[in-house]
Amino acid sequence: MVMSLTVELARVVDLFQLPFMHRALIGGVLTGMMGGLLGSFAILRQLSFFSDTLGHSVLLGISLGIVFGLNPTVVLLPFAVVFALVVSYLLEKTKLWTDALLNIVYSSSLALAIILLSFVGQYKGGLNNLLFGDILAIRPGDLVFSAVLLVVCVLFVGLTLNTQMLVTLHEELAMARGISVSTQRMLFIVLLALVVGISIKAIGVLLISAFVVIPASAAQFIAGKFSHYIIISSLIGAVSAVGGMLLSALFDLPSGPSIVLTQLTLFFMAASLPYLRRLAF
Amino acid sequence: MTVDNLTVYRETYAAVQEVSFSLDAGTDTAIVGPNGAGKSTLVQALLGILPRKTGDVFILGQPLSRQGKLPSQVREQIAYLPQNFLFDRRIPITVEELVGLGWDAPGIRLPWVGARARFHHVRQALARVDAAHLRSQPISNLSGGEMKRVLLSYCLVRPRSLLILDEAPAGLDIQSESEFYQLLYQLKQEQGWAILQVSHDLEMVRRHCDRVLCLNRTLRCQGVPEVALSPENLVAAYGNDRTPYHHSHY
Repeated sequence: MVMSLTVELARVVDLFQLPFMHRALIGGVLTGMMGGLLGSFAILRQLSFFSDTLGHSVLLGISLGIVFGLNPTVVLLPFAVVFALVVSYLLEKTKLWTDALLNIVYSSSLALAIILLSFVGQYKGGLNNLLFGDILAIRPGDLVFSAVLLVVCVLFVGLTLNTQMLVTLHEELAMARGISVSTQRMLFIVLLALVVGISIKAIGVLLISAFVVIPASAAQFIAGKFSHYIIISSLIGAVSAVGGMLLSALFDLPSGPSIVLTQLTLFFMAASLPYLRRLAF
Repeated sequence: MTVDNLTVYRETYAAVQEVSFSLDAGTDTAIVGPNGAGKSTLVQALLGILPRKTGDVFILGQPLSRQGKLPSQVREQIAYLPQNFLFDRRIPITVEELVGLGWDAPGIRLPWVGARARFHHVRQALARVDAAHLRSQPISNLSGGEMKRVLLSYCLVRPRSLLILDEAPAGLDIQSESEFYQLLYQLKQEQGWAILQVSHDLEMVRRHCDRVLCLNRTLRCQGVPEVALSPENLVAAYGNDRTPYHHSHY
């Protein structure tokens, strides 16, 4: 028993010596931190389902790129940003309920994307990767892009923290202080679209919203102060990525879903904390 | 503050039409009128939250632009408490952080810059409204009365010239409402605030305010309370069949 555990651990240590595992680990941590950071605002502004819709729409962007013979990675980010802005405009202007409109956009873009992909033979097999992602296939260029985007996210939140807090807490109060709420909302949505777009390759269309929603929801149980909440949410995102990668390596499980399961475990632990505290006192 | 011929549209109808008035430093002016008279619309247009169709607004001598912009040094002289300060109670924010939002002017800055001054002023402001003990509390734990006190410390954490209140004591019981006004007028004396407040409480208006604006989409009357709240003027503002209610706890 001890022997087999030692062998297994040695195998995992060996595995983490490989360059593609380094990249996967760093990519997971970067994505987890970005998701946790922006997710902390996204869930309070009730944009959880919006991020899910955005994930599905990105698949449509990739499909269009493939059909028109363009590099999907090049098409992906502008498509995600434009799509996010159009959907957010529609949310403001139409009288439809938010979840109904998002559901229409979400399901129709998924349907359209799958139909488009069905015309392109060599991508039929790749659909699985698009839906569930392949964190092990992250390239050095993707890491650079993710790192730059994380820095942009940190600078945006850090330098405008006061503004973001006011907009999140009470839009009217923010406007009375001279803040252009629509501009702030648009900037946030553009960043969220970029994060979702850049993370799709690693995490996949179906699981990307978990990176935005679960760490922030867990942090909300633990943090008393807003500043702590943002930091804890980002840390949970990063720790989940490391834990998920270890889980995936130990039990030979798919990486993206393993990270999400780790996030869920941390979420349950965070959710039970207030009850444990009450029991303790 | 000077307001000249202000008209504000809500979708297709004029919610506020050709309203003109001025507000002197250190005075307390109430806006009264029936529900749907455009009181909140007027206040929001004065703050640049709602766009105006026509008219001019000058605050502390500076024009409010068509896009609702004011120079930031003027903006920071104004504090606003919206009608029913409703927020998602699950937002993890402490009393200290909320009052700190009143201290920092919005803009780009490193979060730790000025932290010491913020800490000091937030403590002072909370102590002034007898809420120092609430400093570390999440705002979700506050009672209605405590919340109003904390919001007043949000207003006074930095020196202001003008306080705009839209039915600020809404949601409080009679006792808490009375305490709120007592504190508000103590602070007004100390800070020298000019106050523009929307109110339904005509008894409070008679007792405390220097001027009254009777609004029912257009300005039906204005002047000192004894004149503006005369029965004839109230009928002009509220209509024959809509008697405004009175509180008798002052």
